[in-house]
Parts: sequence; C-alpha cells; structure tokens
Amino acid sequence: MRKGPTTLLFAAILAIGIFSIRAFNKEPLYHSQSYVFGTLVDISIYGETDERAKLLANHVFQDFQHLHDQLHAWKPITDSHPSELGILNNAFAQGKQPVTISSQLANMLTDTTQLSVKSQGLFNPAIGHLISTWGFQRDEFSAVNIDAEKIKSLVKANPRMTDIVIQNNTAYSSNPDVKLDLGGYAKGYALDMAADYLRKQQVKNALINIGGNIIAIGQHGAKPWRVGIQHPRKPAAIATLDLNDGWAIGTSGDYQRYFTLNGKRYCHIIDPNTGYPVQHTQAVTVLIPPQTNAGVLSDVASKPIFIAAAENKSKAASIFGIQYFMVIDQQSNIFVTKALAQKLNWVDPDVKKDSHVKLITLP
Amino acid sequence: MLKKIAMLSLLRSPKTAIQHLLIGDWLTIIFSTILVIYLFQTLWSHQQATKVQIRLGDKVYATYSLNLQQTIHVHGPIGDAEIHIAQGKVRFAKSPCHNQYCVHQGWLTHAGQAAICLPNQISLELIGEEKPYDSLNY
Repeated sequence: MRKGPTTLLFAAILAIGIFSIRAFNKEPLYHSQSYVFGTLVDISIYGETDERAKLLANHVFQDFQHLHDQLHAWKPITDSHPSELGILNNAFAQGKQPVTISSQLANMLTDTTQLSVKSQGLFNPAIGHLISTWGFQRDEFSAVNIDAEKIKSLVKANPRMTDIVIQNNTAYSSNPDVKLDLGGYAKGYALDMAADYLRKQQVKNALINIGGNIIAIGQHGAKPWRVGIQHPRKPAAIATLDLNDGWAIGTSGDYQRYFTLNGKRYCHIIDPNTGYPVQHTQAVTVLIPPQTNAGVLSDVASKPIFIAAAENKSKAASIFGIQYFMVIDQQSNIFVTKALAQKLNWVDPDVKKDSHVKLITLP
Repeated sequence: MLKKIAMLSLLRSPKTAIQHLLIGDWLTIIFSTILVIYLFQTLWSHQQATKVQIRLGDKVYATYSLNLQQTIHVHGPIGDAEIHIAQGKVRFAKSPCHNQYCVHQGWLTHAGQAAICLPNQISLELIGEEKPYDSLNY
C-alpha cells in the first residue's frame, strides 16, 4: 500500500510532462480549406483561438459562396437560383432594356470597365461568348472543335466593357454580343473583400489563398508568411518568397485550365484581338505592394502581360504600374524584373543549376 | 466458489465494484486513459496531403501533386488502371481487376491514406510533408 502513492505521483508527473510538451509545441495557427467560389480556398489565421478563427474563416467562406452565386458566368438562368450576372447577360443578349442591378455589381462593372480601358482591351471581361466557344465555361475541359468562322465573327462583333451603360443602378448593353465573365477579376475582388473583413475583425495575422491568388495580413508569428510559386510544368514550386503585410500575389498560367488538341495546348486565357488562346507564354506572376485594391490588381494585372507579345510585355506591365513580375515563356525561359528577382528564392533544381534566369529591364 | 460469487456481484452493481477497486487499479485506469488519448493525438492526426505516390510492383512509379487535376494511366500486370486526381484527392477510377476493391475505396483525402489494387500490384498513398512555404501561388 505504501508504494501506491509514490507510483501514482510518478505517473501523474509523467502525464503532465507529456501533455505540456505537446501544448507548448502547438502554435496558434488555424488552417482551413474549402471548395467554394468554384475553386480551392485556403485560409490561415495566426494568433486567434481555434473557436474564433473557425467562426471568422466560415464567415469568409460564406461570403465567397454568395459572391460565387452572384457572379457565376455560365449557370443557366433557368436554374432555380440564377446568378445576377447570368440574368444581366441574358438581358444584354436580348436588347437594350435596362435591368436593375445591385450597387455591388454596378461598382464592379464600373471598376472593371476602367481597368479594361486602361489595358486597351487586353483585359476584357466582355468576351464571355469567346470563352464559351472554347469550352472554358464548364467545370471540366475537353477538346472542342475549333470553329474558325465563329471565332472570327465573335472577334468582329467587338464586345467591350464600354458598350455597357450603367445609370442609377441599372445597366444595358448597346452591343448584344457582350457577355460578362468576371473570371479574371472576381478572385482578386474576393481577396480584398476577405482581407478588409478580417482586418475589421481585428485579425492581425492571416493568409488567404483563393484558387492560387494570395493576400497576406501580418505575419506567421515571428516570421513573414512564405508562399511558393508553382512551376508551370512540374507539380512543385519553382521559387518561394516572403509575402509581407498587405502584399498580394497572382499568377496567370496555361497549366490549370486547358485542353490539348493535335499536340497543341489551348489554355483558358483568350487574346481578345485574335479570339484564340495565348500560346506563347506559360505563366506570368505579378507581386503587388500594399494598396486598397491589391487583390484586384494581383488578379487583373497578370492578364495583359500574359497576352502581350514578348516585346510588349514590359509595356503591358507598366499599364498598371507593375514593378514586380515574372514571365515564363513557352520555351520555359524565365524573365524576372530585378525588383522581384531580389525577393525570390529559387527552389527548382533545374533553375538553380542553370541560372538561366534573365533580368527584365523596365522601360 | 465464493470468489465467483464475489466477482459476479461486482458485475451486477457498479457502485460496489468501484468501492472494491484498489489504488493500483485506479492507477492503471488513469494512466491507460492518458496513454490512449496521447497516442490518439499523435498517431491519428490528419495531416495535410499534398502529393500522391503511385507504386507499381515494388517500385515507386511516380509522385503527383494533388493541385493539378489530371488522369493517369498505369499499366500493371493484369491491365490498365485509370487514376483520377482532382482538387486535393485521388482515387482508382477504373481497374481491370475482378473484385474492384480498389475502386470501391473511393477518394483518398488525407495524408497516410492508401488504396491498393493487389491483383494489379498498384498502390496509391497520400503523402503530407513539411512544406517550405505556407501556401502555394498558382
């Protein structure tokens, strides 16, 4: 009987020891993933209790779901819950009767029109019909029969954001061939929206990833958030970099949404001038310093650079004042601005070995 | 005989059973519970899966990221298997085997999960890893 209390004490100390080690090793990092907004969304929140972080993350996921429902570009309007954008597109196709739209959508349309005009039409969310013809307004992609005549006529129809007239929260289009697809803008918009919400909720440290577009708040504890940039042809990162408070990063690439036909790759980024998918570039990454619409720019600004011919890419970057960007062309040549090169840590073994990374001089 | 009766009476009434426990019994119960909880947490934690490792026979056939949606065909001893990778998960979509156990495993979603097609000697295993970054831009 006398041995009992001693052994009990020993066991209790051991148990406390085991639990303490585990408790001290756990950092206050909450990480949650969800498939919303038509893609994989990843939220990391540092420095909040799990309960609070879960509430905040779920609120953000819900906001994304609402945005997804509102802006869905191809859900049929006969669906029980058609998207606001779908209803608007339908009205555009049918004539010039103004349709009432929410002020949120009206703001988005005004914003995207400004961006489109600034990019001289390289960023053009009005080419929904072209995107659909190439089969990219679907959840999965397969080769389509390329109807050259149809594409020619769609290009000739010249749908532009400036064809849309927005007044008193109503909108109509003077060109029935305008079909809105905010795929190149919505993820960025959502990033800004989520970051604003979390900051208002006094969250000091978070990382939000919507389908690859990332924005950072604060840090990962004592060190900055670190992001990897996907190699366009390998299931691994090609480089990593620190993403400081308020910075955003976005990549346009030909490796996620594409199909191959007769040995050629056709990706989802269509050149509005030719009507055909871009084939000279594999990926363009832009890094945006802190500003009000950092998320939007991280989404929108990569498109004109991706679409522009090699000799015009720097000019396309200067449209939105992009100082940090990288281009990987179809031959896998890598071009980086000096400003971005200084921030990148190359992790791909081939790149590290070769060092054939060319520096871009900005105009 | 008396011992049997005593033990049976313990089973019938939890209250008396508890009263009969000695300090050694308590020690064992407490310590075992703690041990089980600890092992559960350490060994059964759901780690983030980032890649799938496909083995054919005794060799590693290939490793694929779960980020890129794709279909992979693997040719095994009894025929072609079709493996689907989509949105962070992987599964045997088609298999030439008779029982289709591998296909019925369905989607693998967490690190450590595996599916095997024994007749065709193909196995899928999800691997999680300490990532050199917090999130991937793509």
